[in-house]
Amino acid sequence: MKKLKIIFSTLVFTAGLALSSIAQANDIKIGVSFRMLSDVGYKHGELITDTVAMWNKEGGINGRKIDLILYNDECKSEKGVANATKLAYQDKVHVIIGSSCSSVTLPMVPVITKAKVPQIIPHSTSSKITMQGSEYIFRVPVSSRFYKLVQGKFTAEQQGKKIAYIYVPDQASMVFAKEMIQFMKDEYGVEPTYAVQAGEKETDFRSYLMKAKATNPDVIVLSGLVDETVRMLVQSYEVGIPKSVHRVANSVASKVEVPTNAGKAAVGVVYSAAFAASDTRPIAKKFVKKIKSTYGVTPGHDFSQMQDLLDMLKPALTKASAKFSGDLAADRLAVRDAIAGITNFTGLASGPISFCANGSPECRDGNKTPVMIKYSRGGKNWKTAVAGTVTFNPSDGL
Amino acid sequence: MEKFKKIISQYPFLGFIIAYLILLCVPTIFFTDLYQSHLSSLIFVNIIVAAGLNIVKGYCGQVTVGHVGLYAVGSYTAGCMFMYLGSDLWMTLPAAIIVTGLFGIAFGIPSFRLEGPYLALATLGGGEAIRLFIENGEFFGSTYGISSISQPVIFGVPFDTPDKYYYISMPVMLIAVYFSYSILKSSIGRAFMSVREDPISAAASGIDIKKYKILAFILSAMFAGAAGAVYAHLPPGYIHPNNYTVIEMVTFLAMVVFGGLGHIWGGIIGAIIITIVYDLTRPLYEYQLFIFGLTIVLTILFMPKGIGGFIDKIFIDKRFKKKKVEEGK
Amino acid sequence: MLLKTKNLMKAFGGLKAIDKVDFELPAGEIRGIIGPNGSGKSTFFNLVSGVYDPDPGSYIEFDGHDITDEPPHKIGALGLSRTFQLLRLYQDMSVINNVMSGYHTRVKYKFFDAVIGRKKIWDQEKEIKDEMMELLSFVGLADYAELNASELSGGQRRLLVLARAIAMKPKLLMLDEPAAGLSPVNVDNLMKIIMQLKDKYGLTLIIIEHILKVVMDTCNTVTVLDHGQKIAEGTPSQVKDDNAVIEAYLGKKMNDEEMRKALAV
Repeated sequence: MKKLKIIFSTLVFTAGLALSSIAQANDIKIGVSFRMLSDVGYKHGELITDTVAMWNKEGGINGRKIDLILYNDECKSEKGVANATKLAYQDKVHVIIGSSCSSVTLPMVPVITKAKVPQIIPHSTSSKITMQGSEYIFRVPVSSRFYKLVQGKFTAEQQGKKIAYIYVPDQASMVFAKEMIQFMKDEYGVEPTYAVQAGEKETDFRSYLMKAKATNPDVIVLSGLVDETVRMLVQSYEVGIPKSVHRVANSVASKVEVPTNAGKAAVGVVYSAAFAASDTRPIAKKFVKKIKSTYGVTPGHDFSQMQDLLDMLKPALTKASAKFSGDLAADRLAVRDAIAGITNFTGLASGPISFCANGSPECRDGNKTPVMIKYSRGGKNWKTAVAGTVTFNPSDGL
Repeated sequence: MEKFKKIISQYPFLGFIIAYLILLCVPTIFFTDLYQSHLSSLIFVNIIVAAGLNIVKGYCGQVTVGHVGLYAVGSYTAGCMFMYLGSDLWMTLPAAIIVTGLFGIAFGIPSFRLEGPYLALATLGGGEAIRLFIENGEFFGSTYGISSISQPVIFGVPFDTPDKYYYISMPVMLIAVYFSYSILKSSIGRAFMSVREDPISAAASGIDIKKYKILAFILSAMFAGAAGAVYAHLPPGYIHPNNYTVIEMVTFLAMVVFGGLGHIWGGIIGAIIITIVYDLTRPLYEYQLFIFGLTIVLTILFMPKGIGGFIDKIFIDKRFKKKKVEEGK
Repeated sequence: MLLKTKNLMKAFGGLKAIDKVDFELPAGEIRGIIGPNGSGKSTFFNLVSGVYDPDPGSYIEFDGHDITDEPPHKIGALGLSRTFQLLRLYQDMSVINNVMSGYHTRVKYKFFDAVIGRKKIWDQEKEIKDEMMELLSFVGLADYAELNASELSGGQRRLLVLARAIAMKPKLLMLDEPAAGLSPVNVDNLMKIIMQLKDKYGLTLIIIEHILKVVMDTCNTVTVLDHGQKIAEGTPSQVKDDNAVIEAYLGKKMNDEEMRKALAV
């Protein structure tokens, strides 16, 4: 009985070993870990797979084939940490792309730092991630510290300082509301007229909205995930909060579902993001068209960030792999240094992206230019307009 | 061999010492990278939870779907003690076991009146309530989680990498399994089984139903608490409410069901196999949930007692047939 | 008196299942309880063994202890063992575990010894197992010790239930239709084993049985219940001639010949 068990478990272990050791020495290996549960999550995965397949079709990078290893972390830190460890030690990748959720990226940082593997973040915005001071982490999206600044400044200076907040217990939504409350306190000395955290999976926000309405605010901040943002917007009109009260949402509002489902209620909503589908630059127009035709959705900022990430990773890998020695540790350092050497990358993002050598947040929060966007029309044929952009100094908001 | 078996059955402790010595050598002989150590630690954590779950679900027959909440209590007891008091694993582990044991009482009380699906609902509510409470509590780090929980230091050597932490999680797992073995092999284990099979006739045999039900809940909660604490300190030492949802609960249940409900090694076999298979199917993430659902359904249909029961049956049938043949002669 | 009930009552809604039964049983006796279907025999067992709570005003005493309001496991611990009409075997446990769980009240070691797994636990477990194997071989089930109880045949199941009830070394053993559904040969075998066990363990027995022959052959005294009331008590031959008993069973008076036919089943 016991003997059988031991034999069985060793069998399984060795099977695992054998599977992991199949790989070519010459390849460049890219590991990916992010949330691939939802529809959009899968599409981000497809975008990476397609792009890398294209690179390989074009002859690879410096003649080297690119190996892509794709893992799902389901937005769970346990899985994210396991993925990072597996990618670093077992799959022996040169660079890791991930993750979507801040709560997953956060514990991945110490893992990849210890393993000395560079990691480049497509989506996580929490400012805590880069504040750990790791020399191996790079962030493409705009850090929450800049979002807070731009949103706070814009709101206070253009819309009003009497603000009511309703937010849901999701990390990004909470951080957005709380950091903004803190910023208004520190910068302008104003307290919120009303602030409340809704319950998890709540769908009826009318009681909160009524209370918010009673405080007579100039601005109402509605911070939630896509579905909740839509509901809050629609319900805010149902309880009779007039159009003159400005509605502010977090970067979730850049997702297509918000204007499509909220319809008229989306008009006038202001949010900050790193990319707007209404961007009129030719590069942006081309990108929107490509994503629409290939994946059937209008890209929000998370698609654009993924594209930017891949576009800047390719030259960095080209530069680094020219010097590849075959020694994994040295090659990873080369990749890290090549990414750190990226300056003024102009892609789809609203501003140039630059990194630098040391591990401080000033160096590693690459994008410092959030853009303020306003919906000018809701429904299926929604339209946005850019309300303004600001480029911050690297140390702002720390 | 027979002699050896006899000694082991009289001194089961020896068996565990042998297992310890073997497991001590495994990393140096078999492991080629740190990930295998990390995975082993995860397996050990899962073994502790599954061994505990096997007590209450497999042996005592109480359907609990809130066990993951108790696991969360263990993790967060350790996490909060680290965050506010700076305690290390040697302090947080016993504290987590005690605190989770107390929560186990709260989970066990409904079992006096409720059975089957009703008890499942009540415990499900309890488990989810704990997670939501943590998620909404600033004190517990809410949705930020608790990060960089320290790893233990022994003689000035920090056990802060997966390969070193293996030597922390492995003995804890062995001790837990040893406790579960000696509890379940004694009259307590038999009492649990009688409560599961037929409470009325168990009571007629002088077994206090309520006492053993609550005992099963407390014991299994303590296992979950220990597992939670070991997990919280697992490098890089990060806990987040997302890791304690119903999905994790289903995974734990799958381990116990697949390994064999009410089989003494059931939870352990299940935890090892499910964790490893889950890891091997990582690249097939699109089909993973499908594979797991299918496994559970097929196991229940064709192997209701799981792998453990299956192996047992082969052995017993063999012995029984041998005896019949001997008698025939 | 080993078992004594005074004014024992139990009503389910308006139905009086047991109505003011006074019952006394001295140690060492074999008592039969008979009565037509629904006369309250099983209810009487369930009241005494604590499965049901008796109605206020009732009094049950066992071996000098007032057990009127005690929970079943405490009554069991005092040395009152019973079997069930529907057997209530532990289907999914091995035969040996079935019997060993009956030993529960006699286990000597403490809880913490078991958790830590001290050596004396394993020594005692071995002793218990040996003793129980002996019991199993006595009832003829030793070969099946490691099989699941669900794999046994009907007759074997009845023997196993008997062994489980005896494992606790009870002072009083209450058997609820031990021979139901057995062929006449098997019934004789079973009764032989029961009598041997009684002598071996010095048991006092109460037997509910439908097969009157069994009761008449083995019991010292017989108590007859009807509609929850005790209508007769005495030696088998006394009871056999009691008019009230005959009426309860057959609904009318019969002549000698008819009655002999009825009772000789």
